[in-house]
Amino acid sequence: QQIQEDLNKQLLDNLVSFLSRSHSDFQEKTTKWTCRMKFREIPTAAVVLGVNVTDHDLTFRGLSDVLQDNITPYVALLEAKDCPAIKNLMQKLMGQLMNCDIEVDSLEDEDCVQVPQNRIRCSMLSLISWYESVTKKTDSGTPSKKRNSSSRHWQSPPVVVIFKDMESFTTKVLQDFIVISSQHIHELPLVLIFGIATSPMIIHRLLPHSVSSLLCIELFQSLSCKEHLSTIIDKLLLTSLFPFKLGEKVLQVLINIFLYHDFSVQNFIKGFQLCIVEHFYSQPLSVLCCHLVDLKKRVYSLSHAQCENIRRLPSFRRYVEKQESGKQIELLTNDSFLKKETERLLEDLYVYHENYVSILRCLHVFTSSLPKYPLGKQIRELHCACLENQVWETEEYESSLQLARMLNKTDLVSMLQQCVEILTSSSGKEFDKTVEKLKEFLTQFQNLEAEASQERDVSVSSQKELQKKTDLYHLQKTLLELKESRRSKKLTKFEMLRFEVVDYIDRLVRKYLVPADNRTLHEIVYFNAATVLRGHLNAAPRTALHTALNNPHRYLKNQALKCDGGGISNKAPDICIVYKLHLECGRLINLVDWLEAFSTVVMAGEEPNADAASSDQVDDIIHARFIRAVSELELLGFIKPSKQKTDHVARLTWGGC
Amino acid sequence: SLAKKIKEQKMGNLVEEYFEAHSSSKVLTSDRTLQKLRKRRLNQQTLHELLKNAPLAYAAEIRDLNEQHESLFSKWMLQLHLGFNIVLYGLGSKRDLLEKFRTSLLLDSVHLVVNGYFPSITVRSILNSITEEVLDHIGTFRSPLDQLEFITKRFKEDSSLELYVLIHNLDSQMLRGERSQQILAQLSSLPSIYLIASIDHINAPLMWDQTKLRLYNWLWYETTTFNPYVEETSYENSLLVQQSGSLALSSLTHVLHSLTLNARGIFRLLAQHQLEKKDNPSYPGLSFQDFYQQCREAFLVNSDLTLRAQLTEFRDHKLIRTKRGADGVEYLLIPVDESTLADFLEKEDEDV
Repeated sequence: QQIQEDLNKQLLDNLVSFLSRSHSDFQEKTTKWTCRMKFREIPTAAVVLGVNVTDHDLTFRGLSDVLQDNITPYVALLEAKDCPAIKNLMQKLMGQLMNCDIEVDSLEDEDCVQVPQNRIRCSMLSLISWYESVTKKTDSGTPSKKRNSSSRHWQSPPVVVIFKDMESFTTKVLQDFIVISSQHIHELPLVLIFGIATSPMIIHRLLPHSVSSLLCIELFQSLSCKEHLSTIIDKLLLTSLFPFKLGEKVLQVLINIFLYHDFSVQNFIKGFQLCIVEHFYSQPLSVLCCHLVDLKKRVYSLSHAQCENIRRLPSFRRYVEKQESGKQIELLTNDSFLKKETERLLEDLYVYHENYVSILRCLHVFTSSLPKYPLGKQIRELHCACLENQVWETEEYESSLQLARMLNKTDLVSMLQQCVEILTSSSGKEFDKTVEKLKEFLTQFQNLEAEASQERDVSVSSQKELQKKTDLYHLQKTLLELKESRRSKKLTKFEMLRFEVVDYIDRLVRKYLVPADNRTLHEIVYFNAATVLRGHLNAAPRTALHTALNNPHRYLKNQALKCDGGGISNKAPDICIVYKLHLECGRLINLVDWLEAFSTVVMAGEEPNADAASSDQVDDIIHARFIRAVSELELLGFIKPSKQKTDHVARLTWGGC
Repeated sequence: SLAKKIKEQKMGNLVEEYFEAHSSSKVLTSDRTLQKLRKRRLNQQTLHELLKNAPLAYAAEIRDLNEQHESLFSKWMLQLHLGFNIVLYGLGSKRDLLEKFRTSLLLDSVHLVVNGYFPSITVRSILNSITEEVLDHIGTFRSPLDQLEFITKRFKEDSSLELYVLIHNLDSQMLRGERSQQILAQLSSLPSIYLIASIDHINAPLMWDQTKLRLYNWLWYETTTFNPYVEETSYENSLLVQQSGSLALSSLTHVLHSLTLNARGIFRLLAQHQLEKKDNPSYPGLSFQDFYQQCREAFLVNSDLTLRAQLTEFRDHKLIRTKRGADGVEYLLIPVDESTLADFLEKEDEDV
């Protein structure tokens, strides 16, 4: 558990730092812009952020930090849910600004301000007077009090107000605030920043012309979430930093949720986190999922039971079956031998990862420039394809190789150069040879240059010859000859080389990009329970209810419940019977008929021990059971009482049977 | 692509089914009513007794199923501590399961159980119980948002505070509103508050948007128990059961929501008046003439007759009671206890 928390933390830290880095350039732009604002209208920055609202928290926090450090100590962050009316907005704004002030000041000297926090009297006027008092203090007293240099330049630092979610503000509040603050803009230099999830059109839709003319809007665009995703995948999955890996199906699930549901990077991270938790919780051998440094110690501290667990892994069994019999026995009985072997195998796995990643990048360099992207544009698609099965057996790979054989030289050279770079930067040791080979290719290409020009000369001369002949017969003959020669054409040296290169890449792929499922002991490092993950992240309560009501046998393992679909079994629980009967109805259901149908079904079930004398009693019980089942259905939201007709209920779902 | 085609076809069918179900305004059902059935209507009491006698089918299988869910308890604990919150869905009451979770794992720690199905529950009461009992804070807050802020601050300051919140039926009538969900979501996003909730309604996930989902950070667990919803449905006023006398807050709001704006205003006037006089034990109610005067001043009615018609409608829904005083004047009273009335007025204020 401890390890896993560590891992988790490490991972999250990495992510957060990465996210803030990706935002930083964009933040810089905004800050620069805030610096050179003018005093006529309210300067406004509209920041288009995309629909993944959940990720924006981090952006805004970063933004306000940057602003606070560089420009002005007065930054307020407003959220729509805190400001249902203009009064609340002002209160919130005041509170935050004064707090900011206290925070900044308290860094330098403790005793200077005691801003009274009476939130009742929060008006624009008091805000202005407060502002004046603060700025005057800065002016009159010690400029050095403020640490940031900008406030020394600026006699009055601007007050920045960030509206986090522009769309969810009420129009009236927003308009009122803008109108009010525009009247005081001379005393109180305000800068507004709108966070917009949809498109800049929304500003004009929310604000009438008279209000939006008070603003001086500049638009900023943030990175799209897809780019975030690819960088995150790049940093998280395609590194050897983290020993924990995702299996193909799991990755597919996560990416699907991202692309088809919410575009939220945060949710992706949550899913990833869940994978880690799930893996370390369910897989007893996940202790071995650690860095190479710790591996040896942990392998040697394994208990006997854990060794048995290793032996039980399917991939290990496959491995054992391939060994000769003497070694097999050793592996299956001798613990210490097994440990040694395990360590070796895990080290292999580690090396495999390093090689895998760099070769994957090389292959991506090749395939991403091909027309139509048979293997996908992004590296994640390639990664999925490689994990899924042996990539060289797929059609897409075949076609991409064919396309690669038709590449022209400049592209090829540049790609090779990129590959060399990747391989040299990767830490794997096995690539010295490869790099050399590729470099050799490169030099050969350079040599080719000269030959190629010669060749061109030849062809040009033949062309000239062609022009000389004027005789029709001769012309035909030479043309034929040319054609002949072209057909039987010995491949030019360049083409030969090209084939060679492609073949070499092909060989590399075959060697290193073996899917992880085929490796021994991959279970320790890979998490592959995609269904569990999907169940927890992307649940379908309606489906669960439907199956439980339609087919209770799924949950209650009783022989009596097993029946063909469609029909109504009289042995099912009450609520299932009632549900099935209600499926057969239209939009409105008559309660009396429903009750009768129910009692018919139930009576049929209890016929064997029916007693004529107590039939009234039984009737009452059935009535009670019916009432219970109907009110349960009402609670579940399948029906609701209807006023259209007496004693009828309306169905809220449709279809059925 | 065959599978795709089938899926498409299914999709098409689904759409057609929807329109088929809603196309004809005429509905063909028989005209029989329960009144004509010779049986008497059961009331809540007898219903309970009858059900107690009826044997529960498949008890053994249900127990197996529950044991299966109970094996997940330790996993839930781990996941709660890692910052996730857990939501349970599936057929059957999850009350017993959560109760078992509470008794087996939470007895030593501070925990709060919220019965969402209880018709008079409000977010305010949840927050109050946190501030008063967990944080030992005495005092009132002007709005739930302030209260929430206070709680957040306290929990952030004091890292030793931990609180488990169990909510039965997060999707119940009273908690499903947007504001209550927002507050609960913010509450659950605090790292030292661990939330386990259960939902039952098929459309429950509709009440969460992206932001709330993010705050809730749900992990979904399917826990189909097949347990009967005993506690939950006991508050559900079914058509088939005789209505009990006292009015619950939820039914009050429901009836009021289906009325016109003016009718609501009339009721509000009466309610406010009654609340003002709540300390006076001999208060007989508002006399009709005074009430008429007030309604006229507020432009809610224009004649004696309309007010009377309106009051008749209220009386039919058992919203008011009239009493003739010693002087022969009609007095109007709302037969609801003060706290419910106060809650109701507060809720109305929020909605407006």
